[in-house]
Amino acid sequence: MKHVILIAINFVREQRWPILVLMSWVVALSVLGLAVNARANRDDILFIFKQGAVYGVVFAVFFGASAIYNERKTRRILAVLSKSVGRGEYVTGLLAGIAFSTGIYWFSMGVTATWVLGAAGFSVHTLWQAIACLVVACMLSATVAVLFSTLMNPLFATMATFLFLGIPAVAATRFGSSWAHALPAFFLIDLLMRSSFDSNLVVPWNSVILAVAESVFFWLTAWRVFAQRDIAVAVD
Amino acid sequence: MPKALQFEGIGKEYRPLFGRRIVAALKDFSLDVECGEVFGFLGPNGAGKTTAIHLAMGFMRPTQGRGWMLGRPFGDAKTRERVGFLAENVALYHRPAEQLVGFYGALNGMTRGQSKRRARETLEAVGLLPEGRRNVSRFSRGMQQRVGLAQALVNDPELLILDEPTSALDPLARVAVRELLIAARNAGKTVFLSSHLLSEVELICDRVGVLNKGKLVRVGKTSDLLQSRAEYDITARAIPEGSFPEAKTVDGAVHLRIPSSRQRMVLEQIWAMGGEVLSVNPLRRSLEQIFLELTSDQSSNPGSEEHR
Repeated sequence: MKHVILIAINFVREQRWPILVLMSWVVALSVLGLAVNARANRDDILFIFKQGAVYGVVFAVFFGASAIYNERKTRRILAVLSKSVGRGEYVTGLLAGIAFSTGIYWFSMGVTATWVLGAAGFSVHTLWQAIACLVVACMLSATVAVLFSTLMNPLFATMATFLFLGIPAVAATRFGSSWAHALPAFFLIDLLMRSSFDSNLVVPWNSVILAVAESVFFWLTAWRVFAQRDIAVAVD
Repeated sequence: MPKALQFEGIGKEYRPLFGRRIVAALKDFSLDVECGEVFGFLGPNGAGKTTAIHLAMGFMRPTQGRGWMLGRPFGDAKTRERVGFLAENVALYHRPAEQLVGFYGALNGMTRGQSKRRARETLEAVGLLPEGRRNVSRFSRGMQQRVGLAQALVNDPELLILDEPTSALDPLARVAVRELLIAARNAGKTVFLSSHLLSEVELICDRVGVLNKGKLVRVGKTSDLLQSRAEYDITARAIPEGSFPEAKTVDGAVHLRIPSSRQRMVLEQIWAMGGEVLSVNPLRRSLEQIFLELTSDQSSNPGSEEHR
């Protein structure tokens, strides 16, 4: 567990600049809260919040898709894995780092949105339920991205992640809505996208539990795949 | 007692994802490194030295064969707690040296206090303690190499695996590293040293292995390798001048350099002339000469010593 925490903290430290960029959405939302009349501009504020939420998931995918590649390219991974760190601990540490990075973001976003959107009349209960769904979607997307990153470079890993998670969403539009629950990342994000000041969000617990189970499955698969990989060969 | 390192019939092929050219980096590679010895691992660029080291560290998996490190199969994470490793072209996170070395110590299961103390000790050992609070990104390449060495030593390892540890160092720092390695040997630690600096290997290694094109072409005690059995140096006195045209006379002693095939005949000639043989020594060669002989294409076949 100690190794996992150390690698996670190290990951957050190494990704501090992208995390700060991500946090600019929290700042943007705060500025809106201070500068505009929340009730009069409530739809614009909700739009900014939704945009920030999507960026949170996208950043989680970017973090996951590039984490292993960057460490291998710089060869820093050799010094880390020359210690008593197992491959599984390493992958878990990266995922914990992504969870921690995005967790900071979601918490800040939640607190800021409670203040700004709450003042505009948005249900705070619905807001935090939506954030819970987003965190789950975020972790599912990140584990899939990390799994692909054990095999591909960041560009292909990112594309493969969006494609893989997008297929059920596309299938749902053609073959019925139940397809959206197969890999519910897009479905969970869509809940927030569809939310408004007049509607209450009902958490689809089945999808949330499925997403958590799938995250565990993809995490274990990434662990297994990474354990078989030659990490010292050139990545280019 | 388990061996420090044991490679058994290891082969490693690199297969590109696209393209058919398979590169065999190691072919049927077998080698034992005993505990407590300093082993020099030599070979030209591309010989497979780094591949062998990476296999031992578990960074990659062999295509064939198997190996053990300190009695456990290659890749066992727990065993690495007792191992120190320095990669060629060391790459480090950008943070203060003391903090960084402490981080690597913590990754080896050390407590916060232990890793902090050991970080200071190892930085002192490599001569960087005064710079401990500076970010390593501001260090020269040689200084970064020394931080790399500090992180390899932070857990007080039983086995040190060093891939070109002195490649970026100035002569003074090289001497310091050499002294560190000698101290490690005196403390009973095993050192597996891959280096192109043959003079350094000659000075500190108990045994040497030479790898060429993925095959171990020679392994043996450094002292044995350096002694040539092909030529001898004979020193004698009280023999008539001009008896041996190739001889050199220094302070009354006659020095002869002769091939081993003539050794017996020459000695009998000296005695027949009433001369006295002072010494007969196999001629000493430099490791560089041996290295060049072994790694030229014609001489890749095993010869004497402990061949594999």
